[in-house]
Amino acid sequence: MIQTLCIWLANTALSHLFAELGWFVPTVQTVHILGIAVVITLLFVLNFRLLRITRSGPPLQRIAQDSLPWVWRALLVLLTTGVLLTITEPARELLNSAFRWKMLMVVVLAVLTAVIQFALKRDPAYWSTSPLRRMQGNVIAVASLILCISIVAAGRLIAYV
Amino acid sequence: MTLLDLMHALESQPFAVAIAESGWLFPIFETIHVLALTLVVGSVAMMDLRLLGLGNKGRPISELVSSMLPWAWTAFAVAATCGVLLFSSKASTYYDNVPFRIKVICLGLAAVNMLVFHFITGRKMADWDHGAPPTRARVAGLISLTLWIAIVATGRWIGFVL
Repeated sequence: MIQTLCIWLANTALSHLFAELGWFVPTVQTVHILGIAVVITLLFVLNFRLLRITRSGPPLQRIAQDSLPWVWRALLVLLTTGVLLTITEPARELLNSAFRWKMLMVVVLAVLTAVIQFALKRDPAYWSTSPLRRMQGNVIAVASLILCISIVAAGRLIAYV
Repeated sequence: MTLLDLMHALESQPFAVAIAESGWLFPIFETIHVLALTLVVGSVAMMDLRLLGLGNKGRPISELVSSMLPWAWTAFAVAATCGVLLFSSKASTYYDNVPFRIKVICLGLAAVNMLVFHFITGRKMADWDHGAPPTRARVAGLISLTLWIAIVATGRWIGFVL
């Protein structure tokens, strides 16, 4: 079924148009990488703070409040550029196992980010009120960091598998 | 000895040959390079946008810079190390590659811009912690942001014209 979708997509006028423009894929990929830079940097700073590896600067809740709206905006840019790249070369992405892993991990990362954000909105001290909460925060932060690294790796590996 | 001879000498080093011949070393260093460069660009952009008055407006500039610089420098060291390793595997090919040359020039210009800011423009950075930075500081931020976007773009372009 996905193969049928790939063939259909690849035969659309839009896919032909994008594929014929030599500058299109590298330009969209550049915007995609810049979006990744925003997400990765802000989530690394946030999660290092949640893990108490870094302690300077504004409190955790303030960092989350300032940076997470930008993470969601950048995610929207990533989704848009990702869709454009997929329209241009459907089989390269949709039939690729690294791509599928990447999408799965993006969904999990988005859920974890929303959990951190929601908890801090309810209570700015949520992740530090008890040893259990601290441990839960540490687990989520480590999982989030591992997902960030794995998503970038899977994204790069699309070109190799 | 010309620069091209130097490139040939570099790519015949055992480590360079190992990267060129292995099927997985190149993608691994490339992945680490990409991961590190996203952190460099992200952390530099946060400082640039603050200088331009477009982001983190409530944060004192000197505090933001001192908390982001360790990220930028650590990530840059990793990205540069992996970059050199990737380069060494096909040194003479990259040496001839136009986007690669533009990227190296942009990196040099970004370094000059940073040094000027560090030693001249931004010496009294704490003075503009709470107000708008002076024009020359904004210009430094704009130049830096533009160069780093160009570095990402040319870096991505290298693979398309190999």
